[in-house]
Amino acid sequence: MSTTRRRLGWISMHTGPQKTPARLSLTLESHRPRLQHHHDHHQTPNLPLYAAPPLLPDRGPQYLPRAPPGQRGRGRGQRGGLGRGQMFEDPAVMRIVEGRPSLKSLDSAIVDCGNAMYLKTFEDDWMAPSYRKTRRISGSLLQDSAIVCVIDGRRGRGQHLTSNFLDLPYPVSSFRGRRGEPRGSYSRRPFGQRGPSQMHAPIIPGSPIFSRQPLTPRQHYNQTGGFMFPSNRPCPSTPQSLTPKMMQLRFGANSPRPSPFYSPSSNPVQHFRYPGPVTQLHPQHKRLLSQKQRVFHRKSEGWDPYCNLMTAKEKEWITRLQMIQLQSENPYHEDYYYQEYYRRIEAKMAEEELGIRSKREPPKLTTPYITKTDSYTPVVHIEGSLGQVAVSTCYSPRRAISAVHAVQAQGPLEEQKDTRQQRLEVLSKIERLFMALLEVEETERMKTTVLGEEEERRLMEKTQRKVEYIYSQLQHHDPLDSGGEFLPFLLVSKGKKLLTRLLPFLRHDSALKILRIVTSNLPTLMSRDTEEALPVLYPPLRNVIGGLTFSQLIGVLKDLTSSESLSTYDCLTLACQNKFGLSLLYALLSQGEKLLSSGVPLEPSIGDFETWTDTIFQVAAQLSQCSLVEPLLLPSNLLTLFCRYLDKRTVHQLKSNMESATGFLALPS
Amino acid sequence: MNYVPGTASLIDDIDKKHLVLLRDGRTLIGYLRSIDQFANLVFHQTVERIHVGKKFGDIPRGIFIVRGENVVLLGEIDVDKPCDTVLQQVSIEEILEEQRLQQQAKQETEKVKMQVLKDRGLSIPKADNLDEY
Repeated sequence: MSTTRRRLGWISMHTGPQKTPARLSLTLESHRPRLQHHHDHHQTPNLPLYAAPPLLPDRGPQYLPRAPPGQRGRGRGQRGGLGRGQMFEDPAVMRIVEGRPSLKSLDSAIVDCGNAMYLKTFEDDWMAPSYRKTRRISGSLLQDSAIVCVIDGRRGRGQHLTSNFLDLPYPVSSFRGRRGEPRGSYSRRPFGQRGPSQMHAPIIPGSPIFSRQPLTPRQHYNQTGGFMFPSNRPCPSTPQSLTPKMMQLRFGANSPRPSPFYSPSSNPVQHFRYPGPVTQLHPQHKRLLSQKQRVFHRKSEGWDPYCNLMTAKEKEWITRLQMIQLQSENPYHEDYYYQEYYRRIEAKMAEEELGIRSKREPPKLTTPYITKTDSYTPVVHIEGSLGQVAVSTCYSPRRAISAVHAVQAQGPLEEQKDTRQQRLEVLSKIERLFMALLEVEETERMKTTVLGEEEERRLMEKTQRKVEYIYSQLQHHDPLDSGGEFLPFLLVSKGKKLLTRLLPFLRHDSALKILRIVTSNLPTLMSRDTEEALPVLYPPLRNVIGGLTFSQLIGVLKDLTSSESLSTYDCLTLACQNKFGLSLLYALLSQGEKLLSSGVPLEPSIGDFETWTDTIFQVAAQLSQCSLVEPLLLPSNLLTLFCRYLDKRTVHQLKSNMESATGFLALPS
Repeated sequence: MNYVPGTASLIDDIDKKHLVLLRDGRTLIGYLRSIDQFANLVFHQTVERIHVGKKFGDIPRGIFIVRGENVVLLGEIDVDKPCDTVLQQVSIEEILEEQRLQQQAKQETEKVKMQVLKDRGLSIPKADNLDEY
């Protein structure tokens, strides 16, 4: 009966002839293990590739293939000690470590229970200690061509390591000056001959080497290598003195990169190159990168002999790869948060750079922050619903409220519509129009990248069509015109946001129409603005106001002050109590003042000036009496305006009133 | 120095001590030496830490290469920060024994549960057996 035994985790290979019977332990299920168990002969028809021992006669009880404790990896089937030299001719064995038997019995995966052997700190002579340590092992180790380098810190030898030199784009770091070592004794030596005197070298960026500290093994030969060719930078990829032997060894971590962006660094002083012209970094990003490069901030922690196993070149390679992955045709679409983040940083920095020009001239829109106390109600009950509403958990996510309204079974004869139904209609329409608006904005952005004239024209047409579509959709929501144009959308906060973003695209007359709607319905809007979303409308409306003619302005003011149900006084009072309303009022007055003082012929209609002066007086009366809220923006020419029409005392009073609201001094008139 | 600010990159984490949790539930602690574009990780002086209750044990593992897709989370360990923890370190044998006991207990309760469910004609698939999530 054959007993098969499977060994897990160990593959032992051996090369060359052997005197003793071979023992094989295989992890492959398809192969029956070749064992010389004491009762059996086994002839495996298909032997693994890497060993073909002859079938040996039964030799009596023999030990099963198991390395004696203290040695891992077997080269030969001998029990007891294996000669170290033999051990190292086995290409699979990189290192021998001694372990504790108890742990091995517990877990066969435990490989190494010993301490890694560290490179002792060097004093002066850096080569000698390493030579001392490596002599024992490295002699035979490195004869094996499969082993490129020993990773455990015993790189004392030059021969196999010189292949690295030529790939190094290592720039000269600014730490050079810090090294205490004399550098004068450098001389260009041919390969393989490195003496102790060649220890000083430029340091790889990112590796903090302070004076007289020993190098990691990697840095060790990197340095000497890098040091060898400081003047040979322009083409390290095609080095002149590359011997054939070293050509063979150019694989592994230091092989030439297959990436298409592999290009040797031609500038020795450059610390980090941007990953090539192909990547699109945001300009702010580039600036940040260059800033950070100048800062070397490594902590001088306890020095780690294994640090910088990953070379700067490799790091660069990975960064490059990541950059390539970040490329896209439409970054705003695919990498929105990155773009937005940098756009905001840019805006902030631009603002800081401008300084505080004319206090508060650029509108600082501060949206009010409302704290809602979140109370979790485990059972949610909605009016009109049957029973409880399912609360969503991670196991049963609740279906999102679908704002899709069912097609009305009732025909156009039906007069009464459910208010909720209507609201849903409005909401769903806003969503659809938002999608269209996003497309418009995207085409706008694309315009900057587009080169051809034809293309630009086409895009403009497309934009225009879309904008008109959105506008018309917003204008006439309901054929019955129940709510007035635009009003149903303005009452929804998202609708306000939609209009805010749409306004820059509209022509002047369309925008004016919206402005008039806003001003005529201002009391309604203000009263129903529970979320205080009105201020978002302020910036675009201010731009529209900035383009008004005098008669248009008067028209708007009339709308503002005359309402169906409220008197002028009430309208104005309400406006003054509301941030948005007050700001709008200020903006209108400011525009009037601007027009009047600009000297441009105004072409007023009949009665315009009267309305104008009337309004001024009314507003002044209002402003001086009631307490004002802080406006979103206080135009600087208001006081000039008031001075023109009112006496000094009133002006002074107005000034103090306005200032107390805003909390800072308005510009003196 | 983050080579790619504004993004997440492991390059800054190199040569620092990390703790990684793998998909099979193992916790490894070691020095992150090398990475690649798939976030495969090379750990040095790795230690596998097994926690059972308030006790834990460390098994030294040497050099570990973790395939990127098996990482659940990875975090840097601040070696300077004082470690005042209620956890008690025990020997490896002990922790493995504890773990074995814990697994055993869990399996038994699971078995009982499955039996009870089976009696009622129900079956709940175990999350770890599912390929989709």
